[in-house]
Amino acid sequence: MSEPSSLRAFTTLMRREILVELRTRSLLASMGLFALLEVVVVGLGFRALPDDETLRRAAPAVLWVCILFAAIVGINRSALADRDKNLHAAFLILPFDPAIIYVARLCASFFFLCIVEAVMLAAAVPLLRLEIPREPWLLAVLALTNVSVLGAGVLLASATAHAKASEALLVILLLPVVTVVFLGATGATDAFASGLGFEAAQGHVLLLCICGAMFPGLGILLYGKLHEG
Amino acid sequence: MPKSVMFTLAIAVAALIGAEVTLWLAYFYAPVQITTGSLFVSQPTMGVPTNNLYESYRIFFIHLPSAYATALCCGLGLVGGVMFLLTRQDKWDALTVSAAEIGLVAGAITLLTGSFWADYAWGTGKVGSGWNWEPRLTTMLILWLAFAAMLAMRSSIPALALRQKLTAVYGILVAPLYPLVQKAIEIGQTSHPRSFSDLLSAPEIAITKQVSSICIALVFVAAIALRFCWNRAAIQLAAERAA
Repeated sequence: MSEPSSLRAFTTLMRREILVELRTRSLLASMGLFALLEVVVVGLGFRALPDDETLRRAAPAVLWVCILFAAIVGINRSALADRDKNLHAAFLILPFDPAIIYVARLCASFFFLCIVEAVMLAAAVPLLRLEIPREPWLLAVLALTNVSVLGAGVLLASATAHAKASEALLVILLLPVVTVVFLGATGATDAFASGLGFEAAQGHVLLLCICGAMFPGLGILLYGKLHEG
Repeated sequence: MPKSVMFTLAIAVAALIGAEVTLWLAYFYAPVQITTGSLFVSQPTMGVPTNNLYESYRIFFIHLPSAYATALCCGLGLVGGVMFLLTRQDKWDALTVSAAEIGLVAGAITLLTGSFWADYAWGTGKVGSGWNWEPRLTTMLILWLAFAAMLAMRSSIPALALRQKLTAVYGILVAPLYPLVQKAIEIGQTSHPRSFSDLLSAPEIAITKQVSSICIALVFVAAIALRFCWNRAAIQLAAERAA
């Protein structure tokens, strides 16, 4: 069998991920419901706050926590589905670079997480009285945060899926690593939400850029090594 | 007795002597610190800084070398991780685990000594009053949790090969956290000093800092070497059992 081109392999794997999700809707349903539940629970917790200003300051950080946990649920669900059908092992014997499997999984997860974020923000606007700042840089912050969290998450989930108590283990391993991303995301959002502009958020955006390049880069380099032999 | 064990024991003995020398210098040689310099950066929301540290600053001679040792452990974890993935030799896995174990201890000492010092310097003197979630404290705590996570992961994966590979990958992922700890004071509001140059302007304090850095580093190197011997033997035993 001749080796398919990297692009062809990538598009095939991406198509497979999206088709499976369109047929089962299991990933989007679990991530989306989890995110909505988080917003509702947070709203309940916040109802006793003395004023809207406290809520306004705290809401972005809380939403980032919700996004982080929704991403973990998605990554875990996806890895466990592959484990149950032994699909991951099957992918690895296909005649192309295993890094393509990683990139395809990363891109598919990114796509699903963006949908869940849109749903969550739509719910948070009325429930948490959230005001989304009209700042285009926030889209870059969102994209960089997603890529960073998923970059580390997809790599670790593929290995922890075969461990005892894999759901808990992924959270334990992933959270310390991506807290850095969280630090950058909350700092940048806070600066933009306060109307301080890019100057104030520069350090945090730079941190996100480093993470956004580093985690997927390490994932591409290490994925094959993690699963060979 | 094998040469490597003899060498490790020699480092351990030197480290113990070094630790005694450090304690003597820190408590009897270095003077009481009363300065009007700008050791602590004043931030309105970050507690009340003080420049007169009196006896409290002596904890610095343990705090700073422990932070250096944590950095060393991060570096060794990275080297062990990369080398294991390239060579698949058990010794590199043992190095990564040993670095994580001792990194956990060194990180805990850094956090505790830093917190105790901060209680006096930034807080009210009560335990916990100095913990203000400033970036360097927080990033150091994250690094410590990452070391703990690595060790928790090792006990959750029964298959030796997967455990070794995931340890190596995690060692590589954790390593970039230390540069972040270093740079954290430039990211947000901080009460952590950016430089100790005021404190080190007294020659006795500068000499004590140099000696304590070397001696405490030696203590942690000895601990890593001892754990390395132990972990290497444990991995070999596990591999023989698996075979």
